[in-house]
Amino acid sequence: MQWRIFRLALLCFWAAGLGQAQEFKIHDRTVQVHGFASQGFVYTSGNNWLTMNSNAGSGAMTDMGLNLTSQFSDKLRVGAQVYDRNLGQLGQWHPSLDWAVADYRFKNWLGVRGGKVKTTLGLYNDSQDVSFAHVFALLPQGIYPTDLRDATIAHTGGDVYGNIGLQHRAGEIAYTAYAGRRSDSIYSGYPYLLQDWQVFFRSFQGWQYGGDLRWTTPLNGLTIGASRMNQSITGKGTFVSLFDPAAGLVPIERTTKTYWTNVFYGEYMVRRLRIDAEYRRDFFEIPYVPGVNLQTNIHAWYIAGSYRIGKHVEVGSYYSHYVVENTGGSSLAAIIGPTDPSEPWNHVYDKVISGQVDLNRFCYVKLEGHFMNGYGWATYPSGFYRQQNPQGFQPNTNALVLKTGFHF
Amino acid sequence: MKASTRWLITAAFAVWGARSARAAEVKIISNQSVTADTISAGELKSVFLLQKRALQDGSIVAPVVQKSGATQELFLKEYLDRNPEEVRAYYYGLVYTGKGLMPKELHSDAEVVAYVARTRGAIGYVSSAASSEGVKILAVVRQGHEPERRLLKRVEPEYPETLKRLHISGTVRLQLTISPKGNVDDVSVLGGNPILGEAAAKAAQQWVYAAAARRSTVEVSVPFELAP
Repeated sequence: MQWRIFRLALLCFWAAGLGQAQEFKIHDRTVQVHGFASQGFVYTSGNNWLTMNSNAGSGAMTDMGLNLTSQFSDKLRVGAQVYDRNLGQLGQWHPSLDWAVADYRFKNWLGVRGGKVKTTLGLYNDSQDVSFAHVFALLPQGIYPTDLRDATIAHTGGDVYGNIGLQHRAGEIAYTAYAGRRSDSIYSGYPYLLQDWQVFFRSFQGWQYGGDLRWTTPLNGLTIGASRMNQSITGKGTFVSLFDPAAGLVPIERTTKTYWTNVFYGEYMVRRLRIDAEYRRDFFEIPYVPGVNLQTNIHAWYIAGSYRIGKHVEVGSYYSHYVVENTGGSSLAAIIGPTDPSEPWNHVYDKVISGQVDLNRFCYVKLEGHFMNGYGWATYPSGFYRQQNPQGFQPNTNALVLKTGFHF
Repeated sequence: MKASTRWLITAAFAVWGARSARAAEVKIISNQSVTADTISAGELKSVFLLQKRALQDGSIVAPVVQKSGATQELFLKEYLDRNPEEVRAYYYGLVYTGKGLMPKELHSDAEVVAYVARTRGAIGYVSSAASSEGVKILAVVRQGHEPERRLLKRVEPEYPETLKRLHISGTVRLQLTISPKGNVDDVSVLGGNPILGEAAAKAAQQWVYAAAARRSTVEVSVPFELAP
């Protein structure tokens, strides 16, 4: 742990030097090079969190990215980023192509980008790894669960996007429409959770399409918007049947029947104050056995505020509210009955206070306290996994997160 | 002129001018390849937030920013309404998501002017006292509630000799009332040195805008700068 922080500090000073020379030329074209890395330490009381053995204190929270981008012409930009992370049992240091994009801007109101593209969904989905851009060490986990980063972070396909100024000083509309394929790492939260159910996915992928519309209103600093995503995802692998465990591992293939996400959001920035809020609803339905579908219905929202005290210090706080309902569709629904959201296994309510100190233009340190009620443990991850909590879950979890990082 | 009188005049102008310091101390410059003479405050914000690359006249532009300093803070506060840390985080948000390129960052007015002068489509900001040799100065138009009026004829103001001798420069903000035919019917000085304001108003009365269905008002910034 100490060695990791020491290495990061060294990299920080190295990055400060890099900040002066972060581009080079190939055939008269300027190529920009940017990178970032962060290291976190998490200590919890109550439950182990985010697949870490955090009750004992865990430093298994590292991520990094490196990108190259070049403006080929007035309208064409190309670039790519490699990303790697290790979060408890997730990621496991398997680097991935985070994005690789060719972006052509015909007009202000019309641009296209293709390749592996970061998905616009709500305020921060595409920029959730850009830790230094916001005061929080962990974004509200009800909306941006870091263990499920793979589910929405990018699609291999294309976007159509643009900005349209409105008449009569009515502000501006920014739109994005996209379609492509999602491909989760097998080291992501959902496959990991399913292992506890004796389901071992080798692949988890499928189609995603949707859009985002955001209105920069005439009221200075106020932006509101909405996003929608539809998906059709297939998981392939093996599982041990509950009805016939003696048969051992047998092949399994499941495709979601329905899968959609709606997000509504608003952000208000005035001077050094930023307030933002989002509401998100996820609904998906997976065939379990013939005639029975498992439905997962998630309602989540947060409200966050942050204030920059000076050039180097920012403080913030948020409340994140997450409720998950799991029901068996069709015949099972009548037997299981409605979910009671007040039970701790059906929700996570998280009160957070956070502070960030910018050591210089390239390095930061964050300290954050989480006060959580509930553990939302179900057939869909919400930060708490039985693999790290084999003795059972506690209703409350407090967490201290220390995070430091650099970028250039 | 006696030294004490000169000092008093300068001090008086400084006090007057301080009221309109902020935008008045920053001017917007572009490469000569940019055909526009004016830029609306909204366009300027969109360009520096990397949301737009083309101005209304079709000119493709690429913003150049200052790494730090008073000019940077003034510009960001006046035209983007954000602090430097926020804007930097915003840029990095685009850079790390593949949705934008970090604008060229330079250390001083002189570096910005030199870069903008030699780079096609470059647009930047410098303090109003900075030289603008080899670059074009864009007047910033602050819109009223009416749709934008295109400037067809611009008459440059005469630099008052007294102020030139005293090495007093600055930027003046004017509010113009434009008739449906495009003539400037009325000029009000909103900020800046009053003598420069008078000269700017005199020139602006001769400007001609594109015809429109009804009267409209616009705010413009007129820079006065001394030759190096």
